[in-house]
Amino acid sequence: MLEDNLTLCRALLGDWKVQAPENPAPEGGPKNAQEHEPSPKELEELELLNRALEKALRVRKSTLQSPTEGVGTAKGETLAVKKPATSAATTPQPPLSKESGPTPVPVAPVCKKAASSKKPSAHMLRAPYRTDPVRAPSSRSSRAPKAAGKNSAKGAAPHRVRKTLSAASVCQSECCAAAKLSGAPRPPRPQQQSAASFDRSANGQNLGAAIQQGADPENDCPGSPAETPVAQSRTAGEVPARSAMARTFTLQEKGSVLRLPLAYRKAYSRNGRLGEKCHLSQSSPTAAAAQNGFLERVQATFCSSAPALSPAELEEQVTVLRDAHSLLSQSLEAESTGHSAWEREYECLLTLEGLQDAAAQCLHKLQLLRTAAAAQMALQPAACGSGAGPSPAGCTLLRGRRCGQMGVLARPLLFYSTGRELRDMAALKLRVAMLRQKINIQKVSRAELLSILESRRPGEPPPSLLYRAVYTQLCEGDAPSGAASSPFPAAPPQPNVDSLPTRRPFQGSPGAVPASATRHCVFRGWKNGAWSNSSVAASPWMSRESPNCLSPSDTLQPLDRTPMCPGALTAGTHSRAECSA
Amino acid sequence: MWRLLYSLLKQSHDRGRTESDTIGTQIKFVKSVLWYHGYGRPAFYQLPSDGSQGSRELLLAFSWLLNRISLLEQLLTANRVKIGDEASVCMCEDNLCNSWQGRTETASNPCVKREVDVRYLQWLNGRLWFQWRTLHVDQQEQCKLLHKIHSYTSGSHMDQTIGHFSVTETDLIREPDSYKQLLQLLESENSRLEAFLEWKELEPVYWQWMETVLDTLAEDANTYKPQDVCKEKNPLPNANLCCHSASNIIGEIDTLTKDLVTLHDELHELVTCKKSVWYEKIAARESTLPDEREFCAAVRTITEAVELKLSALKYHCARKKSGMHGPCRLVFKDKRARKTSCLSSVSKEPISSAVHASEVISDLRMKEATLERELKRLQEECRHKLDEIAEGLVGVICIPPMKR
Repeated sequence: MLEDNLTLCRALLGDWKVQAPENPAPEGGPKNAQEHEPSPKELEELELLNRALEKALRVRKSTLQSPTEGVGTAKGETLAVKKPATSAATTPQPPLSKESGPTPVPVAPVCKKAASSKKPSAHMLRAPYRTDPVRAPSSRSSRAPKAAGKNSAKGAAPHRVRKTLSAASVCQSECCAAAKLSGAPRPPRPQQQSAASFDRSANGQNLGAAIQQGADPENDCPGSPAETPVAQSRTAGEVPARSAMARTFTLQEKGSVLRLPLAYRKAYSRNGRLGEKCHLSQSSPTAAAAQNGFLERVQATFCSSAPALSPAELEEQVTVLRDAHSLLSQSLEAESTGHSAWEREYECLLTLEGLQDAAAQCLHKLQLLRTAAAAQMALQPAACGSGAGPSPAGCTLLRGRRCGQMGVLARPLLFYSTGRELRDMAALKLRVAMLRQKINIQKVSRAELLSILESRRPGEPPPSLLYRAVYTQLCEGDAPSGAASSPFPAAPPQPNVDSLPTRRPFQGSPGAVPASATRHCVFRGWKNGAWSNSSVAASPWMSRESPNCLSPSDTLQPLDRTPMCPGALTAGTHSRAECSA
Repeated sequence: MWRLLYSLLKQSHDRGRTESDTIGTQIKFVKSVLWYHGYGRPAFYQLPSDGSQGSRELLLAFSWLLNRISLLEQLLTANRVKIGDEASVCMCEDNLCNSWQGRTETASNPCVKREVDVRYLQWLNGRLWFQWRTLHVDQQEQCKLLHKIHSYTSGSHMDQTIGHFSVTETDLIREPDSYKQLLQLLESENSRLEAFLEWKELEPVYWQWMETVLDTLAEDANTYKPQDVCKEKNPLPNANLCCHSASNIIGEIDTLTKDLVTLHDELHELVTCKKSVWYEKIAARESTLPDEREFCAAVRTITEAVELKLSALKYHCARKKSGMHGPCRLVFKDKRARKTSCLSSVSKEPISSAVHASEVISDLRMKEATLERELKRLQEECRHKLDEIAEGLVGVICIPPMKR
């Protein structure tokens, strides 16, 4: 699920740094390790690119739009106005002058529009239609909302200028805001380039036809197709100018008026229709009958010694039982409160008894399943057990089936109403996954580590360090308080920091004390980057409680710098352990 | 034919992991999948590994599979063009293969090296935490941007129930190449869907044909006796695969058994405890109880209510939970925009296929709470055990860390 989201972003950006997971340890977690790709920076790049190219779109549109379309148009021009690119300086002039455009060709349509400003309409709109069908519907439909606001054909230059200027500041502030948001002010160059490339690629595509197709009936524009050749002829000329003019307009400004190309829309709606049909399609009775007949016959020919439950069915049953288990536990928790009224108490009692029965039944079923599974195992040739091997296809089978059982072509919708919700949802999902992983790790490491400790006990010197480490490992990791707002709070309750136990094992041999203290400090230093240079003293240990909530990055820095750190430590401790032993 | 089956099954089962293309492995894979699903025709499994024979058997197997796992539907679903911003709602546990079983064995090294491992473990833990955090941050960022894009483009989509563009759609305005690609994909999907609908119409013919195939095979097979074949413990296409999954299953069953046993015991304790409390209560309140008949009537009603509840529970226990699995399309529906959306026929959208984030969030919160409790419980257990061990350590005073 996470991966799906991230692959999408990855596809959009294309250059992705994959932080290779280096977790060979028993964590073996889900694919979290591969999923750090979208650094915030790159996501912001994405947004900027989005904006940039939307601006290119807008620029075009702005030249097409009537002078009465206030902000949008003005913005398009002001983009030229305010952009730092030098050539932009010339462009504001032409819009203001109503002369037919000199070189900056986008100007030309603008001027043309200005000239015939009475009819701020379709044919103007169509004129600079590029070879891009995208633009066609977009602009046209963008006109639709604005059509209502079509006051009059007063394309008065001063009027526009005013709007221009006023919008300029707006635009500027927006872009500044955008820049601030991204935190990395991008030079307009990449945007130019992307816009330019976009334009170039837009050229020479079939889209004259598309443009004409794109004659949106909804807009009722009396556009004449004759305009389109005009447009196309201008394409080449416009490209260089366009690229100069392309600026960072924001999706924010333009987003609500963008329109998808008609072909896409058609395909999309057809897809939806077909999907619905397929979803609802049932086999005809004859087909069903024939199918069943065939299946029964085939079934009859099956080998009778085959297990009654196929592995798939077995897994299904196990899954069902697992769900039942969670259901029962939930019910148990719900019923665990005390009640005052005797009725409620009685009800509670009865429910619990019922739950107990249900649990017993589940257990029974589980036993049956187990025998079935064992029988299956028994069918295997003796060469089992080496099955850790190459193809965990079994595992994928396990997983794939559960999650693939959606109805045909149901593409459900997940509605969210605020950005907050979306973020919370994502954070919670992550948290649940993390908790699951932690629980698994805890179980595994508990089994391992406790057995180590227990096996060491008789007669050997107390493994203080080991003990402490084990304690830290097993009893650490308090979940941060689960408020969805900050499941990963800014100052993470560093589990390691918290639970470093203040243990001062006083060992028998005095010689070991400084040694162990050293070890402590070294250990501490390793845990908490800030303490790495603490000398051999017990005090840092005691004052551990200082709220030194370092982020894990700090924790890891010493490690990153000294990748051999664990090895070095262990070498040291190894020798010391032997000394004290 | 083998190859066809192979590629089809790979898609739906293995999530497209590409492996070696030798016909032998392909055949093995196909056989293993069919075994997994319970196909039991011995003749099939005895087909040679070079793919030279058995087209009829293959046909039979293919048809069986078509029905058994709705192969076509699965493929269609799996290959849907991803237009929207996907989010998935299901929180199915990743049943991690016990791929780390091998690794835990390495931990059983000589005691001396234990400290290495423990610290290494801690280091890894820290790293893991770090990576989780990074992931979290990135995800939040992505959510923020998604939200922005959604809100900026709202009002633009032709599909009123959605109302805004997804990232892909926005991108396709910007990039004509991706637009063309997406369009192609959509078109091909449309044609596939149409083909599927056609198939649905022609289905009877197909099944009848398959019956004839079966007939011809039966005739031919009269020559040898199927019983002998069954007796051989042979029908194992891929020993590794099967025993792997079988041992997996057994492992899972065992864990589940343990869990259920704990649950059962817990319930038992609770029940006995509550029972005794209840009897005490009753005894203490004997005087204040309503008279016999009312009491019995009350008891009866309560019993019935509880039975109803329990039967509902049992019903759910026995069913496969049909939650939402698979990806959903994220749609931003601002509450304030309700008034505009009312204009469109919102009711068009099938209720069953719409989920709201708030529900998901509350579900997730519950799960989180449960998991946290469990984690704490595990940690407590460990703490107890470690305390016991500490008792046994000579000359050592253990001071547990202070609570925050």
